[in-house]
Amino acid sequence: MSNDQQHFGPLVRQKRLDKGYSLRKFAELVGVSPTYLSLVEKGKVERPPTAERVRKMAELLGESPDQWIALAGRVPEDLNEIIRSEPEAMPELLRAAKGLTAEELRKLARRLEKKRDEEEKP
Amino acid sequence: MSARSKYSVPFLHHKVIEEHAEMLLGEWALEHPAIAEPPVPIEDILELGLKLDFEIGDLRGTLGHDDVLGAIWFGDRLIKVDQSLDPTRNSRLLGRYRFTIAHEVGHWRLHRQHLMNDPSAAMLFEQDGTPAFVCRSTAKPSEEKQADIFASCVLMPRRLVFEAWEEWRGSRDEVALADLAINPDDEIALDAFCRPLAERFEVSAQAMRYRLEKLELIVKEVEPRLF
Repeated sequence: MSNDQQHFGPLVRQKRLDKGYSLRKFAELVGVSPTYLSLVEKGKVERPPTAERVRKMAELLGESPDQWIALAGRVPEDLNEIIRSEPEAMPELLRAAKGLTAEELRKLARRLEKKRDEEEKP
Repeated sequence: MSARSKYSVPFLHHKVIEEHAEMLLGEWALEHPAIAEPPVPIEDILELGLKLDFEIGDLRGTLGHDDVLGAIWFGDRLIKVDQSLDPTRNSRLLGRYRFTIAHEVGHWRLHRQHLMNDPSAAMLFEQDGTPAFVCRSTAKPSEEKQADIFASCVLMPRRLVFEAWEEWRGSRDEVALADLAINPDDEIALDAFCRPLAERFEVSAQAMRYRLEKLELIVKEVEPRLF
């Protein structure tokens, strides 16, 4: 289990309590059993919850789903498909982008979005 | 519920335990909306009010008893409930799940200070990682009976029970088993009678029956009144 994953459980618990949800209530909203949620909060699960469940948790607690999915040790659901759609070029792009700062990555993403918008215009 | 008894606790009268339970509900109402109707949000009181740590897990496996329901670690401010009581496995477990939580909260409120102040207990206190109390479903030392009474009073506060009873029965008058044609030994029929209220309070029918008997809303026969 990575360092991030060890922090994920206690973070869920703290944010859940900040929002005033009991363990059972929050488990019900996420669609898991309170026993399972308790194991997640204590970092006692062998495999982290699915990206879909982590997304649900983050949304309920007003947190960033993508950030929480990464903290939980999962990859957002759509990324697998995106990579598989261009099995060579997409990993190449990601490797080329490795090492850039978050700000540089955001700038790059905005440029790519702009480029795509322009191409899509009639 | 029962326990391995590591320490002895002083005798507490039922009335004193009920006052402790009422005090906890009063403290909750200082910072949260007062509890105007059942069920009492004991899980919220545990985590959001008392700010205790809470876990559901395999207590039976880790503590080595197959009848463990819950346990408390005072030093770690931790209450654990055995996973066999998880109400999502079976909704009929909800009452026992809530009662076990309320029972452990009872240990926290009734016994923590006593044990923390007892030097002989302090020497042994949770040093080996074992809980202060392991609450099981067989045998009942006095501290376990006290925690049960606390749980009963906190989940079924006198005022809310009388209000719910009046709403249900149309008056605050007690009911005689003879009038209901229920044999006092017929626990199944007694529990069936109590079930509508038990569902409102989210407790077991048996727990509801004990409380109604204690509050003398269910009696064997109605005493003749002077006036």
